[in-house]
Amino acid sequence: MANSFKTLQGEDTATTRTLLHEAIPITGTIVSGTYVDDANIKTFSHGMYEAVYDYPYLSSSANHIFDVTAGYSADWFGSSSANTQNAKKINIYNQMAQVLVGYDTGSQIQEFDADGSTSTSTDKMQACIFVNFARLLVKDEIKKNSFRLSLATSASALHGDANRGILKTIGDYGAQTDYLTNSPAGEYGLLYTSSDGDAGEMIAGHVYYQAGIAVITSSFFSGAFGQLSASAGYYVGKDGISNALTGTTISEIANGFRFTVDDISFNNTTELNSTIYFCRANNTEFNYSANPTYLSSSEIRVKGQNPAADPVSYITTVGLYSPDNELLAVAKLSEPLKKSPSNELTLRVRLDY
Amino acid sequence: MAFLDNSGDIILDAVLTDAGRKRLARGDGTFKVTKYAFGDDEIDYSSYNAFHDSGSAYFDLEILQTPVLEAFTNNASSLKSKLITLTNNNLLFLPEMVLNQVGDLTQMAASSSIGAGIFLAAVDLDTETALGAISNLKYLRGDQTSDNTVPYVRVDQGLDTDKLSPTNRLSSELTERQYMIQMDNRLGMLVDAFTQTQGTVSFVDDDQIATYYLTQGVGQYIKDCLVGPLTGTGNVGSGKTESDGNELLAGPRGTKLRFGLKSSSNLKASDYLFDTIGQGTVTDANAVDYKALDTTIKIIGITTGYSIDIPVRYLKKTT
Repeated sequence: MANSFKTLQGEDTATTRTLLHEAIPITGTIVSGTYVDDANIKTFSHGMYEAVYDYPYLSSSANHIFDVTAGYSADWFGSSSANTQNAKKINIYNQMAQVLVGYDTGSQIQEFDADGSTSTSTDKMQACIFVNFARLLVKDEIKKNSFRLSLATSASALHGDANRGILKTIGDYGAQTDYLTNSPAGEYGLLYTSSDGDAGEMIAGHVYYQAGIAVITSSFFSGAFGQLSASAGYYVGKDGISNALTGTTISEIANGFRFTVDDISFNNTTELNSTIYFCRANNTEFNYSANPTYLSSSEIRVKGQNPAADPVSYITTVGLYSPDNELLAVAKLSEPLKKSPSNELTLRVRLDY
Repeated sequence: MAFLDNSGDIILDAVLTDAGRKRLARGDGTFKVTKYAFGDDEIDYSSYNAFHDSGSAYFDLEILQTPVLEAFTNNASSLKSKLITLTNNNLLFLPEMVLNQVGDLTQMAASSSIGAGIFLAAVDLDTETALGAISNLKYLRGDQTSDNTVPYVRVDQGLDTDKLSPTNRLSSELTERQYMIQMDNRLGMLVDAFTQTQGTVSFVDDDQIATYYLTQGVGQYIKDCLVGPLTGTGNVGSGKTESDGNELLAGPRGTKLRFGLKSSSNLKASDYLFDTIGQGTVTDANAVDYKALDTTIKIIGITTGYSIDIPVRYLKKTT
């Protein structure tokens, strides 16, 4: 009986899981102001955060890179109702803490803890800057021990680096094997200023791998911080980030953070689940074709008028079908593949999900 | 030492077709890959030169250099021609499917201002009446309210060669007993040409292409062709009725597929499809205007995978 379909047997199907990584380099000039009038920085009337794009955001070519916002705990020493956007900064901190740190047994929102151990109370990160990376870059998660953020711990300028000082690189050094899991948002690593961070370097913040969020404690910054005030003509918060947190808006703090950034890089991770179909063409199978050009007056062209000659066909496509013969997936070869009774082929067709 | 040939195991990345994505999104378990087929859509076998002076290495040189297109995601556009498994490697002939226009009732429109070389299908009785006024015009009755002498489409399967005797029947391995028919479900339905019974749709895909499976013995769709040498206009014996005679193929024959069309209620009641995907207006010899809509009906033999496309033009008399 002639047949053009072959049924997949149990051993013809296999499932695999593959982790794909991409390097994501974000150059600091894009973040700190490559474009005129910061056309790639989107601010919002609610003033809760600002968004950074890789191109002027009004263009359809622009891709969202990350959002920057800042906030502090209501228990932070500088918290005061007299502060600029006090409630919003507390809201932001609480929102992030809720999602990334969770609640204590009394259902109270826990504060960020520098070493991740909530049992200690002296190392809370009560004022932080949050960098929320877009899903477009992070994909499924940030790869551990790949996050590096170079920034000046002291900087104040609108554009340029004239006032930058003390350039440092923080990263989740050693997180490949040394990461924490006590966050409701998944796994996270501690950000150190050098690879020997465990040996006593300051913990500058956290990076939450699945959430794609970096949390940087305000105490990492020293000296001037903030943007040049157009009205006052001086650097707001030049005496330190604390002044910026209390006396300027979230957008101005976000701008100040952007001016400090020199480089950001990490590897993202995409989890690919694949089904591999082993499409086997045995020596006795698929040697003829229903291609209309295969026949000339019903005679098979490739036989050369010799019935004893081997039939030959050429595979260019593999189709995967449902039980009712509907074509569900197609795979193409790069070049025609000769099939005859003298050869056998196994084409591994991978379908990714 | 040369390298070993490792070309026997090849990894290919598959893309989901639109129909596959639709089934996956439905989440009801209908996305299930259970079988596969190989296709050779890009291959032109007429460039195979089995008599090349330089030897067998040159027979398929041009074919092997054929560039292959990337995958189409439209499920109806891929694997138009499939490879076939046959147990006998010594076959020199394979059956074809040929449109049979020998009989009066199975003919396309000949030379005509409203369509030539295409099956015309009147969508309603008004149009049938207008087309009936044209002398010798062949057209299908889309309204399907007439008796069983209405025209129909007939496709014969077998070997169209005089190198084999037509007194032998086509081998059972190569004889089609089941056909798959794909047609635009928005435009019309398949009917049994002899009982006017509407066919059962197996499924309608995301492009509104309906698939029908027709099996010999169920309805009057599929009959065995007659055996015997052709005489006159296809008659192979005396005393045969219209539906039994009118053979076309010169060699051993398999089965013949016959079906009619019933136009959809959308085409009858509305001009929308004519205006959006139609070919505009055509005028016949009696100066009657019709809206025209061209489509294709694809017939695929389940056994051999051989397929043939039938062009159809739906016509609707303008008011």
